[in-house]
Amino acid sequence: MTPTWLRRGSAASPNSAEPEPAESGTAELDSAEPEPAEPGTPEPGTPEPDSAEPTPVESGTAEPTPAESGASDPEAAAPRPPNGRLRKAALAGTAAVLVFGGCGFFYAAHQLRSEAPARNQALTDTEATTRVVGDVGNALARVFSYTPDGTAAAERSASTVLDGRAARQYETLFARVREDLTDQRVTLSTRAVRTGVIELDGGRARLLVFLDQTSRKGEGDAEATTAAAQLTVTARLDGDQWRIVDIKAR
Amino acid sequence: MKRAVRLLGTGRPRPLPALALALTLAAGGSAAWAGQDWYRAAHDERAAYAAQRDAALSAGEQAVQNLNTLDHRELEQGLDLWESSTTGELHEQLADGRDEFAAQVKEAKTVSTARVLSGAVTELDDRAGRARVLVALRVTVEAADGAKTDKDSRMLGELTRTGGRWKLSALGQAPVGGTSTG
Repeated sequence: MTPTWLRRGSAASPNSAEPEPAESGTAELDSAEPEPAEPGTPEPGTPEPDSAEPTPVESGTAEPTPAESGASDPEAAAPRPPNGRLRKAALAGTAAVLVFGGCGFFYAAHQLRSEAPARNQALTDTEATTRVVGDVGNALARVFSYTPDGTAAAERSASTVLDGRAARQYETLFARVREDLTDQRVTLSTRAVRTGVIELDGGRARLLVFLDQTSRKGEGDAEATTAAAQLTVTARLDGDQWRIVDIKAR
Repeated sequence: MKRAVRLLGTGRPRPLPALALALTLAAGGSAAWAGQDWYRAAHDERAAYAAQRDAALSAGEQAVQNLNTLDHRELEQGLDLWESSTTGELHEQLADGRDEFAAQVKEAKTVSTARVLSGAVTELDDRAGRARVLVALRVTVEAADGAKTDKDSRMLGELTRTGGRWKLSALGQAPVGGTSTG
């Protein structure tokens, strides 16, 4: 039933081509390009409402706003000046569109930036990635390398590079094996062979580390055995040094 | 000036429209700023790089898992998956050795199931479409007699992007006691 809608629209236009400011404001929200569209759309209606509602000529001619000037040009033939309410409505609509548009862009930008992939700086921040890989690799090598008489050095290192749960795990482990290590003259050397950063977000990181641990029992010529270990390590940036706060064997 | 309603609008100094105009301009300014901010965020190379990194990792983990999973009862299906997960030299190797390997597995009647424990990307060349991943893997092998054995392995994979998808182009165990390469 388009005709009804059409008729209603054209019949209504003389009276309501100038809707209430609030209404026109909401109507404008839909048009993507408010400024250029604004002067054009109400134009067919403008001559009529003016006749229905005569307005002082001065009000229009006195202050043509930029938004209105586009409309008044093609209208030059018609003696009717633009209406003040129309101008206000246009301004309000434009402002509303701009505010909403601005908020929309702001929100979209925020969404993009806070997405998980973008927040994870692993590899995207090369410097920080290299840094955390180096610090964690060194830390693991230091705390898991010792000579039979030098376990104290490893434990001292542990107190500087381990923290939180990792420090407690390490203490428990060492309390259990310390005497055995000395008795059996165990030498252990640990090396991080491959390290990958799973996640890096500011001062927190998760890494996957492949370790080689070479141990030797007894003195000198005893046969060394190398074992492979896979760990996921959680580290926290403390000042300018990464400290390991959790270690999970994989 | 006959109509009271118009009185407000006809006075010479009209602070309201001026204010409205100023606000509109301010709104326009902030909208323009937000717009270009959004544009920058949407065209951020770092974000695109991060997205590639994550795509490479998930494809890499999946491919490594696929290549360590094989059921002798669904051999063709499993080997098809192997081939679709790989590209380049690795793909050719698998395709060439397919029949021989299928015969071996049929004979042994084993079922291997792999599970990725953890994985990370170590290198990513976004332009060249190459990446390297580390994957810690647990493979459960069920022999013909039903005995199950778990084996943990650490894999190094190399991925190549073909047609917008990351596929494995090389796969091997990280050597134990070899040289350190970070």
